[in-house]
Amino acid sequence: MPSFFKNRKEKKDDQDEKNSKKLPQFMGETLAGNLEIIKQRTGNSTDVVIRILNIGFQSEIKAAIVYVEGIVNDESVNDFLIESITNNRALKERMTKQNVLETIAEETIALGNVQTVNKWDELLVSLMSGETIIIIDGTNEAIIAGTKGGEKRSILEPSTELSVRGSRSSFTESIRTNTAMVRRIIKNPNLWLESIKIGKVTKTDVSIMYIKGIANDEIIEEVRKRLTSIDIDSILESGYIEQLIEDQTMTTFPTLYHTERPDMVAGNLLEGRVAIFVDGTPFVLLVPVVFIQFFQSVDDYYVRYDIATAIRFLRIFVFFISLIGPASYVAITTFHQEMIPTLLAIAIAAQREAVPFPALVEALMMEVALEILREAGIRMPRAIGSAVSIVGALVIGQAAVQASIVSPAMVIVVSITAIASFATPSFAIAISARLVRFLFMLAAATIGFYGIILGFIMLIVHLCSLRSFGVPYMSPLAPLIPVNTGDTVVRVPWWTLRQRPRLIGNKNNVREGKGQRPVPPENRGMVNNMIEKGDRDDS
Amino acid sequence: MIRKWIVMLLMMIGVTLISGCWSKKELTDLALIAAFGIDLDKEGRYVGTLQIVNPSNVAGSQQPGGGGGQGTAVSVLSTTGDNLDEVSRRASTKISRRLYYAHANVIVISEKLAKKEGINSILDAFDRDPEFRNTATLVIARGTKSADICRALTIIDKIPANKIIKTLKTTENRWGENIFTNIQDVMKSLVSDGKEPVITGIQLNGDPRQAKNLENLQVSSPEAILQTNGLGVFKDGKLIDWFNGKRARGVVWILNKIKSTDVNINWREKKDAIAYEVIREKTSVSATMKNGNPRMSIHVRAEGNIGEARAPVNLTDPGVLKKIEKVLKKEIKHEIQDAVQAAQKNKADIFGFGEAVHRSAPDEWKKMKLDWNDKYFPKLKVNVKVEAFVRRTGLRNKPYSSNIGK
Repeated sequence: MPSFFKNRKEKKDDQDEKNSKKLPQFMGETLAGNLEIIKQRTGNSTDVVIRILNIGFQSEIKAAIVYVEGIVNDESVNDFLIESITNNRALKERMTKQNVLETIAEETIALGNVQTVNKWDELLVSLMSGETIIIIDGTNEAIIAGTKGGEKRSILEPSTELSVRGSRSSFTESIRTNTAMVRRIIKNPNLWLESIKIGKVTKTDVSIMYIKGIANDEIIEEVRKRLTSIDIDSILESGYIEQLIEDQTMTTFPTLYHTERPDMVAGNLLEGRVAIFVDGTPFVLLVPVVFIQFFQSVDDYYVRYDIATAIRFLRIFVFFISLIGPASYVAITTFHQEMIPTLLAIAIAAQREAVPFPALVEALMMEVALEILREAGIRMPRAIGSAVSIVGALVIGQAAVQASIVSPAMVIVVSITAIASFATPSFAIAISARLVRFLFMLAAATIGFYGIILGFIMLIVHLCSLRSFGVPYMSPLAPLIPVNTGDTVVRVPWWTLRQRPRLIGNKNNVREGKGQRPVPPENRGMVNNMIEKGDRDDS
Repeated sequence: MIRKWIVMLLMMIGVTLISGCWSKKELTDLALIAAFGIDLDKEGRYVGTLQIVNPSNVAGSQQPGGGGGQGTAVSVLSTTGDNLDEVSRRASTKISRRLYYAHANVIVISEKLAKKEGINSILDAFDRDPEFRNTATLVIARGTKSADICRALTIIDKIPANKIIKTLKTTENRWGENIFTNIQDVMKSLVSDGKEPVITGIQLNGDPRQAKNLENLQVSSPEAILQTNGLGVFKDGKLIDWFNGKRARGVVWILNKIKSTDVNINWREKKDAIAYEVIREKTSVSATMKNGNPRMSIHVRAEGNIGEARAPVNLTDPGVLKKIEKVLKKEIKHEIQDAVQAAQKNKADIFGFGEAVHRSAPDEWKKMKLDWNDKYFPKLKVNVKVEAFVRRTGLRNKPYSSNIGK
């Protein structure tokens, strides 16, 4: 069968290759030549600072310090690099043309991260990621000093995943800050971090973090494999990675979890998951994930189990409302009028009496209006955001009802659905419910509750077919792993939650000792330590 | 490959949409029927009366475009036909919407129809129709046409059908002279050899022409009002007698359906001086065979409070309470025996004694069941045993009147 589109020959993206062919691969001996190449490669960019120094006993050695302004830490460049190279008297005496590079690298620079390179590619990548390069005349190697820095956003409260209890910090755009925040929570040498650069143009830092011994080695290997096979020009956000490494693309359900909470990442690492940090975004990816995880929030583990369980029930109930709320309204008012109490049927009938549209059109109209409002609310500048809500509330809540375009019952249904979808802790799952809701509405309008049930069956089959890095999406419910169901729809007390998720982590998955249930002291009488023997009159 | 998938997808969508919106019915295209009345006209054809809810006149007055509260809560229309299905379909000539029976909760049958033709032949339509509920309440229009019952507007409950149901439920719970019977109960009794149905009667007090006027509702005491009255006794599907007042309550005692009621007893020559409120009651009916003849024993155990004492009586004295209980037993026993005798006179086993015999002596029952009502039931020996307990005496012990004149 012929294809719909002609097969176009893929254009080879060979700009990079040409450049590197023209230019030498290794550094030259002369300083001027090397600096010329740097200027040429960076296009004389004005933020590339080249400082020429004369060092040595008689200032006979020429050297250059190259860095990109703004992304280096000014303090370390000035105080620990330039200062120490120019003013170290003892060094000046011992320095000769032959050992200048080693001396500077090993004795002079007061910075932690120093290495030498002789390849242009490596040198330029380091330069562009905020490191400072020291080139010395007469050597074909350069010193790279770790001076990454520059302006950073400070750690703020999470803006998308709020919690009542728990840490108030959220990730920032800087990958080093982010990994450090997790390190501060898990102080263990087994917390391993691997870094790679992804993106041919952006050279974005991507790190994977896991706890050796808890995470499953096969999953780590899989993550590594999928990440290294990414071949793309740019990674601007972890969403790029998410879409490039997920198991199943034909689904609205997320198979990777993204979070901006360090405690969430720590908790998941401790369950054996792998975290993927991407530079430039506060959202960290977690793999593998299961469906029920999107209904769990960090609070669940911080508050007592009875409350956590009740809240989880509520969340799942709310998810169902946001899925089939309007669909049920449509089904009831167009197919199953016998299912509601007589007086309610009459009340709804009275409201719909003057409405000219069928229930489905009414529901679709309101749902679309709601989505518009919501979208507008996100994009609006804050100053006029309130105007949107006023217009929305007035026009949709009041005027539309008074004009008999929609019925008040529909407004109630849509509002409850909207609130319900906000109550889902994970935005990723709430937004897929928003999408699936429209399918349910169409099914309900076609064959009523029968359609809703058919839709549900299809949805469940679909969810069961999904996998996240090889782990079944619906586990530990399907396949049922009884020992892990304690942390799904319910959250059992911590002292019974002895095992980590079995399919996710390593084989060794016991995380707490037996007999952790707290008990009161055996002596249940009033304890008064102040009374000593003999104090009392025991005659 | 892509084309193949697109064709597949189109086919799947096509298959889904072929069914269209199968049996879709918009709420605004439905006429919700609240009550259905059946009469016989002079030629012996059925006259069906449909009480159709007028939604915008029922729900609150703030409905958009409804102009709520202007008209009547229900609109009523009647059509004739040779059977009920014909009646229902012919009604479409008079109403713009599809008749929707799923919320029809009351069926009113006229006394004339129940006496002359019986209810055996009409219940099939309600039983067979998928929309109609078997739990719909059945009442007999006593002394009037059922059309008049359906047409009557009611106070407090705007929908007359609701008023009928609620009145039945409330009076069954509070007074106990009527029972709430739905189609299913009646049909069960009709097919059972050992039980005949009883159906509550409902009557219209006042002028039927007044009852359907909205002005009737705008006065504090309406000229015409719907009221439950009596229990209709059926035999072979036909209405043969009405039991009223205490006799009706006697039936309800035996049927174990008293939830709470008021029993009055005399005290020292003062008539109905003490009111006893039953709060719990349990009746068990059992049959035994003696010399080939069945004997019934009815055991009633009632518990209750003193609701009123108009005579000076010392309720703190256990002996007095014992006496009261004794009188109560007699009173209740009398009611029950009266009901049994009346039923025996009518030769209609409305209590289900036959079923009790069937349970205890299935072999003998086979011989008796054919002429149970006419031969065995009227001669049945019924032994009534009543226990009554005074549990509490309300907030007071001695009535305040016992201190007057001291």
